[in-house]
Amino acid sequence: MKNNEVVIETRNLYYAYEDEKYVLKNINLRINKGEIIAILGENGAGKTTLVKHFNGLLKPTKGEVFVLGKNVKDMSVAELSKHVGIVFQNPDHQLFSETVEKEIEFAMVNFGFEKHYIEERIEWALKLMGLEKYRNRSPYTLSIGERKRLTLATVLSYDPDILILDEPTAGQDFLQKEKIAELMNLLKHRKKTIIIVTHDIEFIVNRVERVILLVGGKIIYDGDKRGALTNYKLMKEARLLPPQVSQISWILYNLGVKLPKDILYTEELLRELLRIYKS
Amino acid sequence: MSFLEGFKFRRKDTRIHKLDPRTKFIIVVVYTVLSLIFFNVIPLFILFLSTIFLIYMAESMNEWKKTIRGMFFFLTIIFILNFISISQNKIDYSLAMVLRFLTLTSIFSFFFLTTTPDELALAIEASGISRDYSLMFTMSLRFVPTLAKDLQTIMDALRSRGLELEKGGFIQRIRNYTYVLVPLIVYEIRRSLMIAEALEARGYGATDKISTYFELRMKRIDYIITVIAIIITILVILLKIYGMLPSWLFIKISNI
Repeated sequence: MKNNEVVIETRNLYYAYEDEKYVLKNINLRINKGEIIAILGENGAGKTTLVKHFNGLLKPTKGEVFVLGKNVKDMSVAELSKHVGIVFQNPDHQLFSETVEKEIEFAMVNFGFEKHYIEERIEWALKLMGLEKYRNRSPYTLSIGERKRLTLATVLSYDPDILILDEPTAGQDFLQKEKIAELMNLLKHRKKTIIIVTHDIEFIVNRVERVILLVGGKIIYDGDKRGALTNYKLMKEARLLPPQVSQISWILYNLGVKLPKDILYTEELLRELLRIYKS
Repeated sequence: MSFLEGFKFRRKDTRIHKLDPRTKFIIVVVYTVLSLIFFNVIPLFILFLSTIFLIYMAESMNEWKKTIRGMFFFLTIIFILNFISISQNKIDYSLAMVLRFLTLTSIFSFFFLTTTPDELALAIEASGISRDYSLMFTMSLRFVPTLAKDLQTIMDALRSRGLELEKGGFIQRIRNYTYVLVPLIVYEIRRSLMIAEALEARGYGATDKISTYFELRMKRIDYIITVIAIIITILVILLKIYGMLPSWLFIKISNI
């Protein structure tokens, strides 16, 4: 890793909802500044529960969580949210203002930003998410894709260092996904830390570097994406479908084509097939 | 939200669970009537004790306890409000009202703990109410936990944008909660429209006469319990009207 400044760290984190059994078990993580990470796992594996610890919505039952070097135990959600922005999955759970502008303004007003700065940031966020022409519309009159972009704008507007996206691609068409991917690229250049929670494998193949696999509240893999996505056993354990390119390579391999077993990208597969074809 | 535990159906194999829902409903009505005609501590205390016995028979003490624990705040408020608003027999009257509330809570908890939503819908329809209303009633019960979950999600999302729900004075707090209410209401209306469409897509309202998978049948024990419950109620009401109830029922606790 290029930059070794740790922004989020968990130590032996355990979490249980009201006297039930643990939904997170012994989570030890170190997330560095500028990393782009995907947290993968089936429904109920504890992905959302885990990220809710990063802005203090949930406090550990056992163990510790540090954000930007500080223990979250004594910090409020509002304090942490300034640095850690979470965009939740369903826009309908989040929008309530009369106009799109007011919706974006909300968080910044809560954080007590100055007026001229707020105006500047609203313009920036509207432009970034392509929502300028809707500024005076009610959020409820927007289409689902636009509403999703608006929820992103409401968090991006106050420029948090760490951004957590919960299922950003759920229910989005190809074009929307491309827009989200573009956004991630932009944030990467601005040295932001991005954590996405998802089970959209195809989306993350080209877009993240590090993958964390959660199964039943435990981390079973944490490292380079290739190590997880091309490991049939691990993916099966996490109940995820490997990327289609990897699946094709395995099928071809089983048919006797001499391919390496860790192919992840289309280009790799083509290169290997061409090599075999030429020889 | 744990006080809702005592209103959720649990499948258990007890004699109470096997009773016809209409019998249980009669029991609820009897308890409601009896607890409303008395304003004294001793009769209400007896009623309350007997509801506990019913819940014990239904093996549902743990769920019931959670509900009662969750009601503690309301009970305190009932006691205080009664205590300051009347001038005579303060302690007796306030205590009686608390006991009345406990009895009503317990008997409804007894009913919902032991009656499946299906039985409930059938019982409502059997009493002549149209299917639209019985469905509305059972569905609203079914969606209480969903609503609680939505509420939590909305509050999480707002807090993540720096809203501090518990901050500020009384007015500010109420204003904070309007931020929660708008998405909640809009979301639930959208959800109900979707449910309505799904219901119609699955043939709801296609015929007036529907066939049922379960059938309600009153057994001998149901008739016996119903008749006894009604007789006791009428007897108590008559005795009360003619002033023939034993006097120890009306002893004031504060005099002892």
